[in-house]
Amino acid sequence: MNNITMKITQKALFCFVLAIIVIYLLFPFYWALNSSFKTEAQLQMMPATFIPRDPVSGNISFSLINYKSIIQNQEFFYGLINSSIVAISTTLLALVAGSFAGFAIGKLRFRGKQPSMYIILAMTMFPQITVLTGLFAIINTLKLEPRFSMILTYMIFTLPFTTWVLAAFFKSLPTGILESSQVDGATFFQTFYRILLPLTAPALVTTGLLAFIASWNEYLFALTFTTIKPAARTVPVAMALFTGYIAHQEPFGEIMAAAVVVTVPIVVLVLIFQRQIIRGLTAGSVKG
Amino acid sequence: MSKLKLAIREEKTAYKLLLPAFIILIIVAIYPLGTVFYTSLTDKRFAGTEETHFVGFENYKRLLSFTVKELPPVMASSSPIDKLEQEVDPETGESVYEKAIKILPRKPIRYKELVQFNLFGKQYVIGATDPDFIQAIGNTLQFTIISVLFETILGLGIALVVNSNFKGRGAMRAVMLVPWAVITVVSARIWHWMLQSSRVGLFNTILAKFGIGGGQIAFLSEEIWQIPSMIVIDVWKTTPYMALLLLAGLQIIPMELYEAAAIDGAGKIKQFINITLPLLKPALAVALIFRTLDALKVFDLFQVVLGSREYSMATYNYYQLVGNRAMGYSSAIGVIIFIIIFAFAILYIKALGGVDSSE
Repeated sequence: MNNITMKITQKALFCFVLAIIVIYLLFPFYWALNSSFKTEAQLQMMPATFIPRDPVSGNISFSLINYKSIIQNQEFFYGLINSSIVAISTTLLALVAGSFAGFAIGKLRFRGKQPSMYIILAMTMFPQITVLTGLFAIINTLKLEPRFSMILTYMIFTLPFTTWVLAAFFKSLPTGILESSQVDGATFFQTFYRILLPLTAPALVTTGLLAFIASWNEYLFALTFTTIKPAARTVPVAMALFTGYIAHQEPFGEIMAAAVVVTVPIVVLVLIFQRQIIRGLTAGSVKG
Repeated sequence: MSKLKLAIREEKTAYKLLLPAFIILIIVAIYPLGTVFYTSLTDKRFAGTEETHFVGFENYKRLLSFTVKELPPVMASSSPIDKLEQEVDPETGESVYEKAIKILPRKPIRYKELVQFNLFGKQYVIGATDPDFIQAIGNTLQFTIISVLFETILGLGIALVVNSNFKGRGAMRAVMLVPWAVITVVSARIWHWMLQSSRVGLFNTILAKFGIGGGQIAFLSEEIWQIPSMIVIDVWKTTPYMALLLLAGLQIIPMELYEAAAIDGAGKIKQFINITLPLLKPALAVALIFRTLDALKVFDLFQVVLGSREYSMATYNYYQLVGNRAMGYSSAIGVIIFIIIFAFAILYIKALGGVDSSE
């Protein structure tokens, strides 16, 4: 009997710890959701309420005013479009260049392989802030379009990682495939396109997702490069510089509504592809 | 086709395939890195008409020079000459020392006061030619060390919990990805709102309920709260990432080891110390390196929440470039950040026995 009580207590304790972890991880997001449904008056209530309540009667009352105003907010709308353009193009470019380089490193024999590998690996830790000044100077001298500049410079943090993960993946594919197609008289490029690329689809999805999320989140370059052209601002920059129509103070209700709007799609994406993402995130660490 | 010919063809193909990646990396990383090193030795201004001069290591000197000076006590003018007594501030009751500005050197560059401290009854002042930058280095190091420490402990705890067998483990892993996927700027904004300095904010509401702070704690404008607030936000955002890396490391430890240890009578704690920790070391090493190097570069969080009230190394670099248009100066900051990060990487690899050996 005693044993059973022990087991139950243990189980209850375990569930309690789990619940605390879940609340800790999700609560800020709940708070943003809660605040996004409050009017300015409700936001200024003291103490803050855990569900939107009417300031006078105390009844539960949701308001959609913040969502209405961010839908009409042009800067936010352009931010979404700019972010999509930049993140999608970055992902495609990183996947193309990264799968080429990854294939060479993972499957082909050539002199200088070891140094190339080390350069790529070292690049994954490269501090973007160090080259900020140099890049900004180039962009201004050549008068490059900010969105184009972002796509190109985001290669610093997407390309080495993509190459590294894809190289490990190509390496794990059996060499036999390669040799048999060589016997058939196919060139390396043909083998690459027709046989290897279809096989790598899962790895491409994984690295592509991570590259997409990293570019979608990027702030330093986006903020710096769009100082000259505000129309090119991406979502993070628009979010950081958000000034609402209603309040003179920082419009936190609208900011929270915007936070919900930009977070929900990413969370959905992450939940759908969670297996691939976790595999990609941990690819570098477990295999060494 | 001969073997040699095939090998040459293979090599040529490899170089062709590597070419796009290397061209891109040279354009966006290696070439700008070179220009940054060079520019850091000049007084170049951004988008200015001023002539650029080569100034050697002048920028670095300005950024990093600091000095410690003793502040002599101010003697009360009323005390007799043979029995000098230190003057005491009549309002605060504290002893009065000479003003730092009089003691700190002014040439060739003026030193400004960074901080004063008292040691063995003597008052000292630390002066720096750029106190903001020295402060930024201090802030960043403090932020990095404490947040990575908390992330590791919390992350390991979460990983251990999630690693045990229970229903809904898949859902739990999905929940862990949420903070990681939220845009850093967005999470900074959400926490900014939760940390408001009155009871409209969540934290002041809760703390006031427990009778702490009276709902008036200025988390983001009072100096002692600024860096701790940054740490709290960063720990929330990145602990899940740490936990996922450690979870992956835990999952490759064979169960048989634990079973064998249990048969030998080793308790849970002994199993953790003798099996889990040593076998987790490679994953832990990688996670620590990734997180530390990332934390040293912290920009988004500081820029969005603190702006120019308090700097990290990266935000100071940004403000010198965009706000001050001091290209040479900001390049020197970039180089210093590069060196600090490099030093940390070497330090880790030496201390943890190298990442490569775990392969």
